[in-house]
Amino acid sequence: MAADIISVKNLVKKYKDFTAVNDISFEVKPGEIFGILGPNGAGKTTTLEIMETLKPLTSGRVLIDSIDVTKKPWDVKRRIGVQLQSTAFYPEVRLTELLDMFAAMYDVKIDPMKMLREVELEDKAKNYVKQLSGGQQQRFSIASTLINEPKVIFLDEPTTGLDPQARIHLWQMVRKINKRGVTIVLTTHYMDEAEQLCNRLAIMDHGKILKIGSPKTFIKDLLNTGFKKEIKQEQANLEDVFLNLTGRQLREN
Amino acid sequence: MKKQYRKPHQINAFFVMMKYFFLAQTRNPATFAFGFLFPVVFISIFGLIGNSPQSLTIGLPSNSDLNNPIIKTVEQQKYIKIQVAPESQLETSMKQGKLSGIISAQQTSQNPPAYRVNVITSIANPQEAAGVLSLMNSIVDQANLRAAGITNPPISIERKELAGRQVRYIDFALPGQIGFALLSTAIFGTVFGLIYLKKALVLKRMFATPTRAITILLAQGGSRLILAVLQVLLILILGIVAFKFYMPHGWITFVELVILSVIALIAFLGFGYFMAGLVNDENAAGPMVNLITLPQFLLSGTFFPIDNLPTWLQPVANILPLSFFNAAVRKITTEGGDFSQTIPLMFGLVLWGAVMYILAARTFKWE
Repeated sequence: MAADIISVKNLVKKYKDFTAVNDISFEVKPGEIFGILGPNGAGKTTTLEIMETLKPLTSGRVLIDSIDVTKKPWDVKRRIGVQLQSTAFYPEVRLTELLDMFAAMYDVKIDPMKMLREVELEDKAKNYVKQLSGGQQQRFSIASTLINEPKVIFLDEPTTGLDPQARIHLWQMVRKINKRGVTIVLTTHYMDEAEQLCNRLAIMDHGKILKIGSPKTFIKDLLNTGFKKEIKQEQANLEDVFLNLTGRQLREN
Repeated sequence: MKKQYRKPHQINAFFVMMKYFFLAQTRNPATFAFGFLFPVVFISIFGLIGNSPQSLTIGLPSNSDLNNPIIKTVEQQKYIKIQVAPESQLETSMKQGKLSGIISAQQTSQNPPAYRVNVITSIANPQEAAGVLSLMNSIVDQANLRAAGITNPPISIERKELAGRQVRYIDFALPGQIGFALLSTAIFGTVFGLIYLKKALVLKRMFATPTRAITILLAQGGSRLILAVLQVLLILILGIVAFKFYMPHGWITFVELVILSVIALIAFLGFGYFMAGLVNDENAAGPMVNLITLPQFLLSGTFFPIDNLPTWLQPVANILPLSFFNAAVRKITTEGGDFSQTIPLMFGLVLWGAVMYILAARTFKWE
């Protein structure tokens, strides 16, 4: 069996008298799409940023590709791709130029146009990030995580604020990248996103992990306890109506 | 098998980042307006002020005798502007400070011809009043001597004119404008720029790459340095071409000015980094930036000489960072001094910069 690509053991992060992450442990297998599901303030972003070497941990151990993030953060940085919650790009620099700049920062050679084509943004090459729609910004952000051919990419709430079409489109893109063998760790507070996109999930609240497993086992486990939802079986929901009326075609421009 | 990762070359990342940070600045309309349009406007205004030499304006009441020889002599003087108007109107102008004096002369007897000269000056403007009075005294004395038939007076003045250089306002103002541009670019650009980059998580995204934070900050500074050098070149070239700014040693002075500007910008950047590191939002930064820059714009000899300040304030004004730079630049331009004379002044500025870099290193908050 392949070694875990990510291993988090007894991770704690304290800010003065507030404990943001309270003794959590989990592993991510190579090639997985792993989701951290939880409400705002659950500690998802803090956990992610510690794995991304952007925040120091208070105690515990985090290994990425068997490298300790505290001891060798520079080696970790080279192996990961990071998308932050807000579209964090230098203003007044064009998309191709931004990719070129990040390539220099990773010290790799890339073809910016090819990278833009992969996320269907080649016709926006000369634009600035602020001129893109929300979905396009997120796609560009994902493209920027792939510059150094990382083993793992971290996506922090990649579909927050997107319309239904843009979300579906982004999910397809995430699956496509995953198929190439890139492990994906994402945070979300959308149940459908967690259910449809993630192989495994950690449900987090108040800095603790409540449960880890696949979405299917979660539901099976809950049913096994005798849980019954008031059943009002309908063959479609409002989202189906909406998508049926407006189509699944991505809206842009 | 483990994939091999190369150690990133910080130097290459530095230059590529600097290039794009610089491009980003040139595409920003605010940078363009503050960095290039403002200096051009200022220099043009100061250049035009400098082109009108100071002179006395003398009012002649229109109802007085304008044809007698005394008044004719007054009209022939160099550097005198004459204004003929009704007496009441002239008095109003004088109260408003637009006239240096009002002069009239009446003939009091025909044979031998005698005249009475009336000089009205304002107590509000003693310098100009003295000028008018001494001018009139000399005209009257000469006329009296002639009337007395003395063609060879025992005391005479031998006047010799040296080929001196007229110091115009532009020669004073242009060095101040260079300092003003450098301080603005270094402080406003860095503080508000870095705060935005912190808030919008742009810096954080960059810290997720293997490029070191210090390389990113240095590239930021480097891009501002390029911008500032362009600003200095623009101000200098405009000053030289359009307003004949005085360069005692031609292109050597030019190169020296650019060297001084680069040193000054690096020192001023220290202030920018210090403040950008201290606060995390624009609202808090605004008053702080003004607190650092405004007094310097007013007190450092940017628009008027420090000598014009009250004596108790001058020692303080003289040790402000911008004062050191302004004084150093004037040393090699208006004062025609040697480059080595700027060293003690630039040392003062570099000391300020060093203190700021040390403070910045201790207090800088990345997020």
